[in-house]
Amino acid sequence: MSLMEMKQGVIEAQGLVKQFGDVIAVNNISLSIRQGELFGLLGPNGSGKTTMIKLLTGQLRPTAGSATVLGLDVKKDPVGVRERVGIIPEQETPPSFLTATEYLDFVGEVRHIPDVLKKADWWFDYLDFNDKRDVLCKDLSRGTRQKLMFTQAFIHKPTLALIDEPLINFDPIMQRKVKDYLTEYVRCGNTIFISTHILEIAEEICSGFAILHKGTLLHTGTVAELKERDQHLDDFFLSLVEKGTHG
Amino acid sequence: MVKLFVNMMKEEWRVHSTMFGSLSFALFPVMILGIAFMGSFLLPLFRAVVPPGYLAIIIHTIFLLLGIMVGGFGLLGMEVMNRRFGQASLLSYSARSLPISEREIFCTFVVKDTVYYLILWVVPFVAGFAIASPFISVPLSLPLLLLLTLTLAFLTGLALIFFLSTVYSRSKQAFAVLFVIMLMGWAGLYLYTGISTAALFLPLQLFYAFSYATFLAACAVVIIPSAIAVVLFTSEYTDTTKRFKNAIAPLTKKLSFFPYPPLAAKDLIDLFRSGSFIGQTLFSFFIPLGLLWFLLSVLARFIPPGDVLLLFAILTGVIASTMYTWLTMFDTFSSYTCLPVSVPVLLKSKMCSFAVLQVIPATFIVLVSIASGGVAYLVPAFVLCLSVSFYALSVTVWLTGLSPSVLVYDAKVLLLYLVSVGIALLALIALAFVNPYYAIGSVLLFLPAWLLVKASFTKWDMQDQPVF
Ligand SMILES: Nc1ncnc2c1ncn2[C@@H]1O[C@H](COP(=O)(O)OP(=O)(O)O)[C@@H](O)[C@H]1O
Ligand SMILES: [Mg+2]
Repeated sequence: MSLMEMKQGVIEAQGLVKQFGDVIAVNNISLSIRQGELFGLLGPNGSGKTTMIKLLTGQLRPTAGSATVLGLDVKKDPVGVRERVGIIPEQETPPSFLTATEYLDFVGEVRHIPDVLKKADWWFDYLDFNDKRDVLCKDLSRGTRQKLMFTQAFIHKPTLALIDEPLINFDPIMQRKVKDYLTEYVRCGNTIFISTHILEIAEEICSGFAILHKGTLLHTGTVAELKERDQHLDDFFLSLVEKGTHG
Repeated sequence: MVKLFVNMMKEEWRVHSTMFGSLSFALFPVMILGIAFMGSFLLPLFRAVVPPGYLAIIIHTIFLLLGIMVGGFGLLGMEVMNRRFGQASLLSYSARSLPISEREIFCTFVVKDTVYYLILWVVPFVAGFAIASPFISVPLSLPLLLLLTLTLAFLTGLALIFFLSTVYSRSKQAFAVLFVIMLMGWAGLYLYTGISTAALFLPLQLFYAFSYATFLAACAVVIIPSAIAVVLFTSEYTDTTKRFKNAIAPLTKKLSFFPYPPLAAKDLIDLFRSGSFIGQTLFSFFIPLGLLWFLLSVLARFIPPGDVLLLFAILTGVIASTMYTWLTMFDTFSSYTCLPVSVPVLLKSKMCSFAVLQVIPATFIVLVSIASGGVAYLVPAFVLCLSVSFYALSVTVWLTGLSPSVLVYDAKVLLLYLVSVGIALLALIALAFVNPYYAIGSVLLFLPAWLLVKASFTKWDMQDQPVF
């Protein structure tokens, strides 16, 4: 982590806009996320969370605005950004005809990770899917595919991970494990950016949060702040969204 | 069933129109109509050169071929395979959660595909001809008859491939036996009775002389194989516990001479595990080329056999260029969105894998040259085939990037493709007919191909990749 990155924030977005035809999915969003945060991007379905993550990881080109991630301009160097961060997309899409092991090996080759299979072993144990390692991805259940995607995002130990709806396909035991992992991961000085429409998750593990509604940023703040005011995130969220709809 | 059908149609429309823009998509049949309309005016010209019966053979064979290609592409390819993946979000897949049998979904799916392509290809073609018919003094009954016979020709192709592919997925041995029997039956019939293949092609006979008996027989040829296919259909969810050894590591090492070894390794694994290597080679390469050979052998009465070989080499090149779709079919960009892989890198890697696959057409054209007694033309045929293939590939990549299936649906893209490839083909055909050895000059096509590919890298890097 360079000095510049620390001062600048790990993610810096300036007036990001993404338009699909006449739908403005992301409307003039500026964000700054510092190192060590577990940041939650919250909002109802269709509010632009996925689009925002895709913009920040160079999967989509912004219609207007700019963003830097780990000091790299996502427009100029999207591959450089993806090299450094870990990403879990909204829909688990490991390649159908590779086995779980093969997929991780493939990721290791593409990302030039030394001893990737040894690292994979740890993950097969930790997320408890050892018995599925030689099964083709197309034949895995959604939960197992999500475990695989989770492994893929963290196997190279990125300093920043962006996760779209992290817990959506996991059972409660797995959810606990994943939440613990994420909290521990930021405690070691890394940064995590998650999107979710499930508010309890945000309330439980996030430090900072932003609320998105119909592509517009309604609020940014810290969970600690809310707790001080003795306000539940969902009450706050609903009141904001309501205002957003009527105002 | 009806409701499922309607929803599937809607879904198909929605998928394609969001993929390619609804205007471009809606214009597709209009364009086919336009081509048929304008083509009709060339009819008197054709008649002067080719007897009318032959023209009918050509058009009917083209629609038979179309049925086979659509069948190979639709059934074996994208969608049914998609259902086997477990990750496709198409209705045909999600319907698994509804109280409908697999077989019912499959049937509806096939009916939908058929209706869809009939509307997209067959109906506009005949309509174009019908509109032109008063101007070229053809009675209106002819296009009406043509609508019937072309539909049947199309369905015959579809039913044939549907039948063969179901047998294939049931048992490879049974398929091989069936295939050999059909081939031997065909050859035997021809050799011992002298009945030409055209006589067996009932839609064509129906066009020559309409009779209810022929009509019923032609329908039977469509219905019986389809019915057998439906009965034989199995949903292949049984071997979900199949396990595989890690093939990425050894393959990546073996393929280290590739620019991107892991990507090449993945292409290879996809090709073999999806069954598309053998399946596609058979259904999208050998069967269409077999039919084309038959089509050209009809022409052999009008042009010298050497020229027929060169023409065949050109067409083989065009078909060989579609091998690019084999590589992209199971590999949407969404698998790479979380990895540091750019679109140009992926395109480059796919093109390298494509180059390796070209061993198939290269060997094929050499064998055909030798077998057809055209050894003297072997070198020009070989060069023509590969130059055309790489040139057509470059046009495909430039127009469609990583989603070549766009070609089949987007009018603007298809038109651009037809023009860019068509002009080059016509020039090559002219060149080859003047002197077969001039055809070697087709290597020059590598120059525009190279420029197009370079331009594609910039073009597709600048665009958001569609995620299906
Ligand atoms: N590729 C796309 N083409 C057109 N519209 C899109 C595309 N991706 C997202 N949208 C639209 O943008 C809006 C935001 O979508 P998304 O970012 O997926 O929201 P969220 O993840 O918060 O549910 C939605 O209205 C969605 O329909
Ligand atoms: Mg989303």
